[in-house]
Amino acid sequence: MTSALLTIQNLTVRFGGLVALDDVSLDIAPRSIQAVIGPNGAGKSTLINVATGIYGATSGRVGFDGARIDGRAPHAISRLGIARTFQNTELFGEMSALENVMIGADRHMCGSYLSSAMHGPAYWRTEQAIRAEARRLLELVGLGNDTDVEAAALPFGKQRRLEIARALATRPRLLLLDEPAAGLRSAEIDELNSILLDLRANLGLTILVIDHVMALVMAISDHITVLNFGRKIAEGSPQEVRSSPEVIKAYLGEKAAHASHS
Amino acid sequence: MTVRLLFGAAVLVIFFAAPHFLAEFQLFQVCLIAATALVVLGIVVVTGIAGQISLAQAAFVGLGGYGPAILAARYGVPVWAGIMITAVVVGAVGYALGQLTLRVSGHYLALATMAFTAIVQLAFIHSDAVTGGAVGMQMPTLEISGKTFASGGTLYYVVLPVVGVLFLAVHNLIHSPVGRAFAAIRQSETAAAAMGIDVLAHKSAAFAASGFLGAIGGGLLGLLSTCLDPSQFGITQAVYYLAVAVVGGMQFPLGAIVGSAVFVLVPEFLQAFQTYLGLVFALLLLVFIVLRPNGLVSLASDLLRVVGGKQQRGAA
Repeated sequence: MTSALLTIQNLTVRFGGLVALDDVSLDIAPRSIQAVIGPNGAGKSTLINVATGIYGATSGRVGFDGARIDGRAPHAISRLGIARTFQNTELFGEMSALENVMIGADRHMCGSYLSSAMHGPAYWRTEQAIRAEARRLLELVGLGNDTDVEAAALPFGKQRRLEIARALATRPRLLLLDEPAAGLRSAEIDELNSILLDLRANLGLTILVIDHVMALVMAISDHITVLNFGRKIAEGSPQEVRSSPEVIKAYLGEKAAHASHS
Repeated sequence: MTVRLLFGAAVLVIFFAAPHFLAEFQLFQVCLIAATALVVLGIVVVTGIAGQISLAQAAFVGLGGYGPAILAARYGVPVWAGIMITAVVVGAVGYALGQLTLRVSGHYLALATMAFTAIVQLAFIHSDAVTGGAVGMQMPTLEISGKTFASGGTLYYVVLPVVGVLFLAVHNLIHSPVGRAFAAIRQSETAAAAMGIDVLAHKSAAFAASGFLGAIGGGLLGLLSTCLDPSQFGITQAVYYLAVAVVGGMQFPLGAIVGSAVFVLVPEFLQAFQTYLGLVFALLLLVFIVLRPNGLVSLASDLLRVVGGKQQRGAA
């Protein structure tokens, strides 16, 4: 896959003696929905954190659209077109839902300090545009009625969707979702699934989902990578991964792996 | 839009009417409140909005006073030009100080900025040849195209417009992408960076703004007090400015004005307790930190919410 949007090559990340990722390689094709799954501590979040510049790589490389991005600052990576959500939600709690999304959109229309201080006509035009864009994105994720609610006051499921709307406001080409389904009810997961499928269909977005909730990733992923203890143990279509004895062993234990074969 | 025009017109009417109703000394106090508010506005930007604790404000104020005084004494630069030049330079110093935030944050940042204030004060005291040392130096009189501005009554027409314009600019800045980025950094640096915000550049910009505002405020305060005393630009004063911001309301430009009014006027009412003034201020600060961390201004906005009815916001 030479035309992959995101390429991770032989990535190893060590924190002191702990090996969080061990020689992991992974390609994400444009307009695909891919998943990385694995039990807790498998290194899934580390993968996203390296790809978005929060952690550095010990060895290996991360490439995005042909350019090497590992080691770059998080804001620089964001501006290249990679957006993310956070496992434990990192919203701007004191701001309204709308303002949260506006911050994502600001980078694209940000005027100078001078025009910001003067509030001239150009400022009002861009401010209106940012506001309209934010409102549209909130509607897209089903938060059209919550625009003025403080982010911290939203129920958890809505906070997750707000994070997605905020990430989309940066106009990414690649969206990284860190456990978007954790703590969601199954009806909410179905809703999330349809939102993600819509995003790919309408915006041509490439999506990488990291999760251990199978219901989400099995239903929408084209391709799944399974990590366990920082190593890649399986890869393929949802069907292939589901029947892989290695995966069953990692998830359900040795016994279950034998049972599934008999 | 009409509301804005009416508000602007009302402000202008009050501005031109006030000198006819207030005594010379009261005008001086109004100027003092305005100049102090400008200094505290710097803290509102850097600490209240951007979330970076700074005890550097007293140093910025000191530099803002000494700068034009030295430029005038040594090179004959007009005071108004000296104040502007100094403010730009101090803004740059603030930017450099902001770069510190790459390495330190929270309490350590407070300590580092406090050290900055201590160093600047020591420099004032020990550079006798330039600053007059511990005795201090005279602030030259403001002269613009032949007119001198020496009294509260005349400085009023300089101080208030300058402070007014800068408050307007900061208000606008807060309600713009720049201000939103500052607030985002305060609430989550990680998320702010993930949104493409250059966190370090914005923190430095916030420090630069606080330096610029502090220096202009310091220049104006110098004009009002006519002399520069290095003991006025130490750590105690840095804490004083922070206290003004806390009591007024750290997150609102209006809080800087309200807090300054309280801290300038309270000593007038407590003439008899002059010795215990420090205690009064300390108690005030403690009470607000415990009971009203968002300051007096938040009291007003809460009242408005109660009066305005409950339909404003549904259950969360």
